[in-house]
Amino acid sequence: MKREILSKLIEISRNPYPYLKEWKKEKGKKILGSTLADVPEEIIYASGAHPFLILGTTKPLRLATTRLPDNACSLSRSNLELVLTYEGELFDGYVLPQVCDTTQHLCDIWKRKFSDRYFENFLVPRQVNRPSAGYWYIQESERLIWSLERYLGIKIKEDALWEAIDIYNENRRLLRSLYDIKRKHPGMLTNREFFDIVKSGFFMDKKEHNMLLKELIDSIDIEKDKKEDDYVPIVVAGIVVEPNEIFDFMDNGKINVVSDDLCTGSRYIEVETKKEGTPIEAIADAYLKKGPFSPIHDEGNKMFYNLKNRVEKYGAKGIIYVHIKYCESQDYDFPDLRRNLKAQGIKVLEVETEYQTTHMGQTKTRIQAFVEALSEEARNE
Amino acid sequence: MSEEKQEKKMTAKELSKKLTIEYLESARHARENGKFIGYTTAVSPVELFVAHDIIPIYPENHSVAAITKRLTTKLSQAMEKEGYTTHLCAYARSDLGYRITGESAMGGIPDPDFILACNAQCFTLTKWFEVLSRKYNIPVFVFDTPQWIRDEETRKRIIKYCVMQLKEQIKAQEEVTGKKFDYDRLAEVMEYSRDASHLYRQFLDLAAYKPSPISIFDALIHMAITVYLRGTPQAVHYYRYLIDEIMEEKVKKGKGAIENERFRLYWENLPVWFKFRNHFNLLAQYGGNILTSLYVHAWSYDFDTSKDPLLTLAENYVSVFSNVTLEERADMALDLFKRYDLNGSIMFLNRSCKAVSFSVHELRDMLTEKTGIPALVFESDMGDPRFYAEAQVKNRIQAYFETLEAREEAKELA
Repeated sequence: MKREILSKLIEISRNPYPYLKEWKKEKGKKILGSTLADVPEEIIYASGAHPFLILGTTKPLRLATTRLPDNACSLSRSNLELVLTYEGELFDGYVLPQVCDTTQHLCDIWKRKFSDRYFENFLVPRQVNRPSAGYWYIQESERLIWSLERYLGIKIKEDALWEAIDIYNENRRLLRSLYDIKRKHPGMLTNREFFDIVKSGFFMDKKEHNMLLKELIDSIDIEKDKKEDDYVPIVVAGIVVEPNEIFDFMDNGKINVVSDDLCTGSRYIEVETKKEGTPIEAIADAYLKKGPFSPIHDEGNKMFYNLKNRVEKYGAKGIIYVHIKYCESQDYDFPDLRRNLKAQGIKVLEVETEYQTTHMGQTKTRIQAFVEALSEEARNE
Repeated sequence: MSEEKQEKKMTAKELSKKLTIEYLESARHARENGKFIGYTTAVSPVELFVAHDIIPIYPENHSVAAITKRLTTKLSQAMEKEGYTTHLCAYARSDLGYRITGESAMGGIPDPDFILACNAQCFTLTKWFEVLSRKYNIPVFVFDTPQWIRDEETRKRIIKYCVMQLKEQIKAQEEVTGKKFDYDRLAEVMEYSRDASHLYRQFLDLAAYKPSPISIFDALIHMAITVYLRGTPQAVHYYRYLIDEIMEEKVKKGKGAIENERFRLYWENLPVWFKFRNHFNLLAQYGGNILTSLYVHAWSYDFDTSKDPLLTLAENYVSVFSNVTLEERADMALDLFKRYDLNGSIMFLNRSCKAVSFSVHELRDMLTEKTGIPALVFESDMGDPRFYAEAQVKNRIQAYFETLEAREEAKELA
């Protein structure tokens, strides 16, 4: 396996800003930031601008605390902080989705703070099961296209949209095949490495990401690279896993993340946009069929069945549920989810996280204890 | 003695109580009478329920009753034991606690046949109602209202999306009730809703008189009827009765809600429900009276019955203050400052209500900039006394009135 490619992707995932500053200088493209989730990146890509998914900062909060109360979720506060204090200069504009009360307010606050930049909100349908949801996703996608066309002074052609869909489909296919390899040979690629690779794709030029992924996958020689070891298969649930040292704790505990329902994981990479109808219809269809995502209303138990199926399909021994502090959706979802999973005999560990946390020791210990209990159980079986 | 004569002796408050008891009785006997129970959110197109033999039940109102009876801490603790956190909305905490303990300030509420959540008010309700939907094993119908952004073309599309959803809602209701939806009945319900909403607004606008004959605390008490009896002739009658009473008892006599009114205040957010009488008395000591808030105006709808009822329903519910942009919300508040000639502002950062609170800092900046009136921001919870620091609130209010006094004196000198 070409370790240098792996290192490059990991480096970008951990600090994408030097890469992007260079890249921007070279390509002369506009960089448009979005937050989670469900902004159709393909449309931004097709416009010629560069879509960048803002995933917070672990650096200290300075200004966000004066704009958002401390019971706003850690992700929203650290996203706002990132652009207010640390990396705001990089962005030419923003396309922010409204998926919950917090993101709705965040749009208003953000727009006022950056009145000199391009700003568009994406009003995601917050119900997904009725025909009207599809109608609305298409309407919003069209509005985004017009807005970008006005801003950039261009026309987004259908061919450009299909090309973007192809590039994104390829990206997701490559990530799925890498996930397959990692799942089967956990000693070869750690959890942290794999999810860092996924993350780098939210920041980088997608074509370049595809190229590097392909080269990396082609360079893997399973017989040579694999390291046999005993790993405990686990499903990770939640929205994001941040700070991503949490994956290191899983690696140290010899956990193999065999599946997940993260926005920055399977919920993203399992999407396959079918090339049917118009490009916008195809994108809307793919987005609405994505896995369940906490803030969006779906059937009440869909998240539970989805996780249960993942556990059964991949023979996982338990679930680690990563709960972003003050994420209201997760606050409402989790008690029922845990009860229902427990009733199925599925072990669940809840880990509450905060971007600005300085003491991860307890999380580390709890993950370690959880995996030990599961291993003990497996030995007794 | 005729019923009308008997009623004449009643105060509006007593009439409200009587209507509430009748409404709850009808809900408790809904099923015997071939009717259904629909849970819904306070801001929602409940007219579709009323026209379809679905009696609306508002878990939020039930929770307000629990809060004012000081049951919330206990109910919340029951829910916390099941793994929920104290960060949740106090309405949701009271309700989820009620589902566990059965303890209620109103003798309980019937279980639902249908659950509707309109997210114009907040998104929290959707999540809370999802918990109820799992409990009762029935789906939640989400009436999704995208933010009412200021763009005419987008607004047309939002309305189209909302009308589509109202049609979907009617279909879902037909499946539950087994009854065909009657649009003629809806037209009738819309007329009652239109009239009650206009009268409710007239009632709130009595605050423009000097001195104001009402305080926000009157509004908070009397809004209950338009919340749960919207779309009925009783609500129309009630607000006429109430306005007549205030005109007779206060306005004609030149009496204000407080004596020596000096400060006419705006309130941002929902009230601290378990403290509002104390707040009224505390402020009155300084000659302060809170006259209004965007929250109490959330039910001042303006239904245009010459339009397709689904269209006017969509237009009214999507544009409620909690679903507009911050700029528009500031404009709505400024309109109240102007119409009621306000000279003070208390902004409550309510831990329970993320939907209304998260922009409070930003809103304060905008309002202060436009009006020049300083604002007091204080943080607490609308329902749980564990998060209310009595001494701190008192001190801050006192300091705030000192600022206002100094400001008035400076004005007088000038």
